[in-house]
Amino acid sequence: MREIIALWATQFLVKGQFVVLLYFLAVNGWYLVLLVSSLLELRRHMLLIADESRHLLLSSTLSPTISILAPAFNEEATIEVSLRALLALKYPSLEVIVISDGSKDRTVDVLIQKFDLVPVKTIYERKIETKPVRALYRSSTFQGLVVVDKENGGKADALNVGLSFARGELICAMDADTLIEADGLQRMVRPFLYATDVVATGGTIRVVNGSVVKHGRVEKTSVPTNLLAGIQVVEYLRAFLFGRLGWNRLGGNIIISGAFGLFHREAVLSAGGYLHDTVGEDMELVVRLKRLSYQHGGPGKIAFVPDPVAWTEVPESARVLGRQRDRWHRGLADVLWRHRGMLLNPRYGVTGLLVFPYYAFVELLAPVIEAVGLVSLVLGLAFGVVDWTFAGLFYLTAYGLGTALTAFTLILEDLSFHRYNSFRDRALLFWWALLENLGYRQLTVYWRLRGLWKFVRGRKDWGAMERKGFRAPPVVAKSPDAAA
Amino acid sequence: MVSESLLDIIMIIEVVLLALAVSVYFVHGLWLRTTARRMERLSKIAREALARLVTRGLVNVEDIELLKSLPHDVQTFAFLEISRNLSGTGKERLRFVAQQVGVIDRARALCIHKRWTRRLRGARILSQLDVADPLVHKLLSDPHPAVRAQAAEWAAAQASTELVAAMLELLADPATQARFAVQNALLRMGTIIAAPLATFLETHSGRAAEAGLRVAEPIAELRFLESALRLSRADDIGVREASARLLGAIGGAEAAARLIEMLGDDADRVRAAAASGLGRMHYWQAGSLLAERLRDQRWRVRREAGLALRAIGAAGTLFLRKALKGDDRFAADMAQQVLDLPEAAAG
Repeated sequence: MREIIALWATQFLVKGQFVVLLYFLAVNGWYLVLLVSSLLELRRHMLLIADESRHLLLSSTLSPTISILAPAFNEEATIEVSLRALLALKYPSLEVIVISDGSKDRTVDVLIQKFDLVPVKTIYERKIETKPVRALYRSSTFQGLVVVDKENGGKADALNVGLSFARGELICAMDADTLIEADGLQRMVRPFLYATDVVATGGTIRVVNGSVVKHGRVEKTSVPTNLLAGIQVVEYLRAFLFGRLGWNRLGGNIIISGAFGLFHREAVLSAGGYLHDTVGEDMELVVRLKRLSYQHGGPGKIAFVPDPVAWTEVPESARVLGRQRDRWHRGLADVLWRHRGMLLNPRYGVTGLLVFPYYAFVELLAPVIEAVGLVSLVLGLAFGVVDWTFAGLFYLTAYGLGTALTAFTLILEDLSFHRYNSFRDRALLFWWALLENLGYRQLTVYWRLRGLWKFVRGRKDWGAMERKGFRAPPVVAKSPDAAA
Repeated sequence: MVSESLLDIIMIIEVVLLALAVSVYFVHGLWLRTTARRMERLSKIAREALARLVTRGLVNVEDIELLKSLPHDVQTFAFLEISRNLSGTGKERLRFVAQQVGVIDRARALCIHKRWTRRLRGARILSQLDVADPLVHKLLSDPHPAVRAQAAEWAAAQASTELVAAMLELLADPATQARFAVQNALLRMGTIIAAPLATFLETHSGRAAEAGLRVAEPIAELRFLESALRLSRADDIGVREASARLLGAIGGAEAAARLIEMLGDDADRVRAAAASGLGRMHYWQAGSLLAERLRDQRWRVRREAGLALRAIGAAGTLFLRKALKGDDRFAADMAQQVLDLPEAAAG
């Protein structure tokens, strides 16, 4: 009996390893397709924007009005600089709506004092059910500034309140600490001007850690020397430059970063706004918009703008990063579960047949398969059923190819926007790309597995997010739900 | 279990890939740096030569020869860079030099290239140098919308009756990008488009008319009135809304009378635009009707009516104050909110 069990275990370990190996080969093969797709898309984009006169074409009085929705929770230390940077964005028709989501510090007081706010009667068209609004302010100095003080209800709730107040044809959902490039909105609005079937656009988000920020603008770009932040620079480049851009060409974008995205207001309202009971509210909205467009016809294109348009601060501590990745993975699982009817359903075209399977079998299940592969590899080596040659093959297939693909992403960045120009930055970027697979990636597997486990157990908390601030005194900001 | 030779092959492939990536990455970086330095050095020479030629206004053969000796990319870069800061005589001189150096001829050749990206590049160079070239005119009917849009941008600085007519026809362009560029370019052409646009509005309807009405709004000449009145009865809601906005911009008794009628339109977008139009022309006589619209079922109409009442001045404010004490809670709320608005926000 013991021999049978031993034989069975050996077979399981060996065959399991081969399955995992094939899985990695397939995934890396698909990544290669995405890389080629993004290369073609990037080339087309660069040709289109070369020497364009955005100041003439896009600073027109015909440009659609954009309402920026900036939810803020306990941001008293940074809100003034962030808001001044928003009000100084180069766009002809802009409205900025700051939604204080039950801030317990002096966020609203700072706003009142610095932006000449006066209270107006709290009357608005409640288009979506939200937590109550406590006060409403308009600025005596800045025509397009509205500040809403509401009870705490989370980011989705704050954005829904903002939607009720917004008057622009387009709404821009962002995090209060996102730094938008001065002409970022001009770049982001392009797809809306170029096609009538666009409902949302997302842009490239870059990591601001290590760069010099002055008055809410990135003045000098540098790759951070901090290990975690540095590796995240590489991750972000890969995610945006070849992930989303590659999908863009294939017509399968379903993610717009919550840190900065532009949406057609009526489309979002018709879809019912942001969902409250999910931690992946940004992805959920995009998938819902896409789903509704397939179900009822009408516009449903999600476009991605590869120009760097916004900057965000990433966590530099493993604890906070772990929480973030755990939350992201829970969000992904939640969205895929809610819209599981789209999976492999031909009614939903590319999204159902290609994008959903990719997110389900590659993005969602990758940590499970990777963990199974790693554990069985260790066990196989320990019990002598897997030899070191096979272990080498496993590593090279799982991680070596990934590193090579990441290196090609760096080339993509270099061929297009080349924001990291110095030799030091290049060397650092490459160094982080090499180091990514030696511990960091395995850590993310653990965090994502934890997220999956929490999802199965039904947990929907956000966890705390600590920020150092952009070369400013350290600020600690918690995500809204954490305080609820 | 796995042959070592397979492992060796895979390892070699990956090492080669990685080495290739590293080499390309760093060599490209080096190339970028070298190119940037070269560009900086040569651009400085080009800039200085161009500055001498443009400011002095004399044809200095040496400078022209110097510019000719520079690589084409440097020439184009320098001409486009300086062109953004020039207009009038300065730009005319720049064009003359560009012609001498060959920048314009090369751009013209690009305009007839079979690849749309090249045609786009050619049109962009000629647009930025404001070269009145019939080749770009032809690009208004290019198969690619990005090229048509660029040609429209070029046309904005080349206003002529013939061009305006061609541009107006493009208001019905099926491609949004080209349509937007055409509308924008027409707006930048200024009042020269008024007469042909009036004729265009008289004879068009639907999407083309709506686009035309939006262009007419900032110009707001009396000659658009007839068409605006006719189109304000169109079936299309967008056309009626655009007409209401234009009527509000034109002003006058006829426009006001029609806008008052439009306050009862079935579409809330049209009612809101009509209220806004009456406010824009400060038509205080419509005060009581606008006050009625404070009771409208749709928020946007109530809001526009409130803002219009505030815009028409003392009479409107009286109506708003009266609404505060009225029995309609929605009207009272809106009146309160509009009265609370600081001056900057009420604009």
